[in-house]
Amino acid sequence: MLFTIYILILLLLATIVVIELFKEMEWKKQIAYVMILIPFVLRILQIK
Amino acid sequence: MKKNYLTAIIILLIAVILMVTASVDFLNKRRMNKLYPSEGLTKIGKLSNYLPGLEGTNSDSDVYFYDSGNPGSTILLLGGTHPNEPSGYISAVVLIENIKVLQGRIIILPQACKSGFTCTDPMEALPADFILKTRSGNRTFSFGSRVFNPLDQWPDPEVYTHFPSGQKLSGFETRNLNRSYPGKVDGTLSERVGYAIMKLIRNEKVDIAFDLHEAAPEIPIIKAIIVHEKAKELGAMAVLNLEFEDLKYALEISPKNFRGLSHREWGDYTDVLPFLMETSNPIQGRFRGRTNSNLIVYGEDDNYRKALELGKLRIEYDPKGEPLAVRVGRHLEGFNAIISACNEFNPDKQFKYEGIPSYSEICNKSFINILH
Repeated sequence: MLFTIYILILLLLATIVVIELFKEMEWKKQIAYVMILIPFVLRILQIK
Repeated sequence: MKKNYLTAIIILLIAVILMVTASVDFLNKRRMNKLYPSEGLTKIGKLSNYLPGLEGTNSDSDVYFYDSGNPGSTILLLGGTHPNEPSGYISAVVLIENIKVLQGRIIILPQACKSGFTCTDPMEALPADFILKTRSGNRTFSFGSRVFNPLDQWPDPEVYTHFPSGQKLSGFETRNLNRSYPGKVDGTLSERVGYAIMKLIRNEKVDIAFDLHEAAPEIPIIKAIIVHEKAKELGAMAVLNLEFEDLKYALEISPKNFRGLSHREWGDYTDVLPFLMETSNPIQGRFRGRTNSNLIVYGEDDNYRKALELGKLRIEYDPKGEPLAVRVGRHLEGFNAIISACNEFNPDKQFKYEGIPSYSEICNKSFINILH
């Protein structure tokens, strides 16, 4: 159960990061968003 | 399309390429190394044979059986309890690929903590594997984490309470196999693996059990044999015999109040005589410098050497390094000495074998003529 909640939190955060990525006007900040996104995606897919 | 959407899509695509590349590496780490058992192999079992709940998990380790068919002692040898201590794992592989049992039988788990081989410890810049030159060329062996992969066992509690003693340790230790004995049938993954190994010892009526480890050069118990008090005479005899070969081992008695360790719980909860051996491994040292696979194989570290030259090192450190071959040689020579002592103490129940290279053979030829 705890693990499912953990994955749901990660999914929520990853979605927010992607939305903010598309709202962001500066490409340098967009790179920062993607750097945050990568570990979230690898964790959701349980690769790392 | 807005300009910022276009840059977002381009940056996302680059990130996907990076993620896929990294994922291939991470997923490759889950592939187990191929081993080449000697002709004496009787069967390969699974840890889940002793606890069906482990089937399908990332911790259902292979169990290698070598049975001479002649009555004698049953020996158990564990490598890879801590997958960041490669001499234990490689010693088990050397046995698997060379041993011929003449009397009694031996059971070998080369990767006792299989889950730990699928990742490395975070924040340590550790290599994922190392290469040894063998008969068939270069072979790659996994280097792992001290504990179970958090993908297999998560979350860690703030404080780990050992079952059944109630001893409290750091939450991180909940994923340490060598703090999880005697284990629990419905516990965490590490407790279940601990339980399965205890059941293996009981079901297979193991007489003598080995757990092979390494430690940082600054840890006081390096180059030591740690025994349960019921095996102290055997341990003392083995250490004396090793002294005659110019190999120094400290004999340590397992502390009674430090729970969860193999040398304590195996001895307390089963009839087995447990032995844990340690060698000195610079890649675990806190003072180490450049951290790469060469440090695993050759054990040469500039920081320790410089500190020794300046007279600032207060620990034993060989300036020529602590090569993996020497560490494996020490484990195997310790194994030989303990088995000889047991055979001498118990002539009615012997374990006899051949095919294992001597300490000097391993040190001189490394693994070229020893591993497939």
